[in-house]
Amino acid sequence: MRIKRVKAMKNPQEFIVQKFTEYYRDNANIIPLPTSYKNREFGFILFDKGGMLRHKAFVEPRFFRDFIKSITPSDVYHSAAYYKQPSREMGKKGWIGADLIFDIDFDHLRTPCKVEHEYWTCERCDQVGVGKHPSVCSQCGGSKFKMVAWLCETCLETAKSEALKLIDFLINDFGFPPHDIEVCFSGHRGYHIHIEREEIRQLDQDARKEIVDYVLGTGLKVSLHGLMEVRRRTGHKVIGPDLNSPGWGGKIAKGVYDILVTYNIQQLNEINGISKNMASLIYSQRDKIFKTWNNGNSWGSIKGIGIKTWEKLVETSVDNQSVNIDTVVTIDIHRLIRMPLTLHGKTGLKVISIPSKSLERFDPLREAVAFSKGTLKVYVLAAHRFRIGEDIYGPYRREIVKLPMAAAIYLFCKRAALLTD
Amino acid sequence: MLVSKEDFAKYPFLIGAVEYVKNLDLKTDELSQPEFSAVVTRAETRIEEALIDGITKWESRRGYEIELLSYPVAVIFVSNIDDNYLKKRYSLAEAKRIQSLLKEEVDEKLIEIAISVFGWNVKNLPLEVYQPFDFSLSFIDYLRNAPSFHDYRWKLVNKRLINGEVFLQKDEFSRLISEEVRKYIEKTINTSPKVELNPLLLQRIEHIKQRLNLRKERIRIKDQPQNIISAAYPPCIKNLYDFLISGQHISHVGRFTLTSFLLNVGMKVDKLIELYTPISDFNQRLTRYQVEHIAGVRGSGTKYTPPSCETLKTHRLCPGPDDLCTRIKHPLAYYRRKIRMIRK
Ligand code: SF4
Ligand SMILES: [Zn+2]
Ligand SMILES: [Zn+2]
Repeated sequence: MRIKRVKAMKNPQEFIVQKFTEYYRDNANIIPLPTSYKNREFGFILFDKGGMLRHKAFVEPRFFRDFIKSITPSDVYHSAAYYKQPSREMGKKGWIGADLIFDIDFDHLRTPCKVEHEYWTCERCDQVGVGKHPSVCSQCGGSKFKMVAWLCETCLETAKSEALKLIDFLINDFGFPPHDIEVCFSGHRGYHIHIEREEIRQLDQDARKEIVDYVLGTGLKVSLHGLMEVRRRTGHKVIGPDLNSPGWGGKIAKGVYDILVTYNIQQLNEINGISKNMASLIYSQRDKIFKTWNNGNSWGSIKGIGIKTWEKLVETSVDNQSVNIDTVVTIDIHRLIRMPLTLHGKTGLKVISIPSKSLERFDPLREAVAFSKGTLKVYVLAAHRFRIGEDIYGPYRREIVKLPMAAAIYLFCKRAALLTD
Repeated sequence: MLVSKEDFAKYPFLIGAVEYVKNLDLKTDELSQPEFSAVVTRAETRIEEALIDGITKWESRRGYEIELLSYPVAVIFVSNIDDNYLKKRYSLAEAKRIQSLLKEEVDEKLIEIAISVFGWNVKNLPLEVYQPFDFSLSFIDYLRNAPSFHDYRWKLVNKRLINGEVFLQKDEFSRLISEEVRKYIEKTINTSPKVELNPLLLQRIEHIKQRLNLRKERIRIKDQPQNIISAAYPPCIKNLYDFLISGQHISHVGRFTLTSFLLNVGMKVDKLIELYTPISDFNQRLTRYQVEHIAGVRGSGTKYTPPSCETLKTHRLCPGPDDLCTRIKHPLAYYRRKIRMIRK
């Protein structure tokens, strides 16, 4: 159904603010404040103003709650850092320490669906489109566009499995007890992971950089994890880390094993530095390799597959086993992070804190829904197929549809729909 | 376990050693008396060894007492002279002495020092079981010092990390302790109260100062290409440069800043690498790679410029601006202006 835009349709901004206001009126009292909240800085993004309202501090939870009710922010943050005087300007706050945080956002994950879930909106009129924006808008001639990214289930799943991988690192390598690892769904495109422990507060930026490099596998030298070639009269033999060894050694071995088991010749050939011939050789010798892998740390002594080749496989293995985190977030010791149970201004979904052991079963598109009551008739400019709650909606293009409140607000926040009367 | 006079003399920062000296209740005035002349002389040699060899010697021939007492005296001297280069050079030299001594000690002694003095979380690993590792140290304590050793083998990602513990061999563990000792000594020097010294001791200090100036002069002549005017360096760069030549840890941003600054004012890549290499843990190949990368010889081919004052301030690399600083926004601008002022 193609409908001409009528006068009665209007920008939903006011409506969003009204809905956010209602949400905070009803829920502000259950929003938990972070530990040592008196020593943290709070930050808010407001609907009408650009930029962030920073350097706020609260000495009692009710002050925070009254404040949030009175200003209705679009987004709410608190610092991962602790300060002596959190409300002063940055240089004068008196940094005491900071929690250890990680950010996994599908913005920087390489997912094959990435091209499909970006679309543009014209800054001057309501024209929208999928993919790359045109140089001028066909409707109003404007040349300024805003890129918007849809929430994509595939990407959210990828982000979740990265988060699970990170948790494995944090528990098994770094020795953090699972109950000290807090996972948060951001309400939009990813997860952040938050560790509050006395002993990590003092870690400086260089130390945090080392933790980041560990998780990313940056600077890893496989020779330092035991990959080497032994030459004998009878031929050569390559020795490498054992599948069962802890830390990166075992991860490397598992990753290489996975490659050998799951990659076909074509995929092997796509590995940087592996020629077509080499790919076929590896493929044909897999069984022989697996046999030697059963005997401890030998990686095989197959003619033609030397240490250089193994190093190439290891590089890919490290890529696959590492976790794709946002480096800057972890290293920044003044970072602000989203607060659980506050709303995300780009989706109208809630930030949700999840115990690390329940992450596997967590469904962000169902559990983060904040507006579960009522339905609304909206004029959708353009929308992909999307899911909010249990049901799937769309795709829509310039049509009026009746949607549950959460789906309607999601489209409003994405600037993909208008309000009808 | 570490209670003998010999231990105290070797490791004068041990709590027991500090207590022992304190209980003697020596006044600085007494130091000029003849019975202490050997102690004062040894203190002076300690500093000279630091200046010339970069490592103080373990000297037991004249007795443990003299060796032990000469350490706090040396600290008083260095703190009194109040020269950044000397402070750093001296702390590093003592740390190196301790590192070489620790390698010879039984594991238990290393553990005791790490736990009792620094409160580290460390365990001795049972022999044979964890070959070739001797110790497991909490990664948090490991990261206190390891990031300042710019070499791949010190990167956490190249270590065996299990359940929060980094597995280490003895020489690695003693290196980590000695770095902590270095910081500890430097802090001791910086926080030691100013004392009035009598003329006799002041004379000794004058003597050390002369040695120091000679040494600094030599570095300047050796390391400075003629066309580069170090007198025109802004305070931030002067600071980093001092850190570098005294073998101090410099953060990543700091290294980038110094390297790109020096390259931009015309220092040659080889010269810069030479400047970096005497420092214990610098890996020549890595250093060359990094320097060449910043110079634009490798990779993207773009030559980097140092960060602006604003960025340096947020990274706490600006030691506080001087007069000229208030009129510029970039350390290179400072340098160019200052040269014009000097030439006038
Ligand atoms: S103001 Fe700029 S040039 Fe001056 S010391 Fe600070 S960072 Fe360096
Ligand atoms: Zn338009
Ligand atoms: Zn996607």
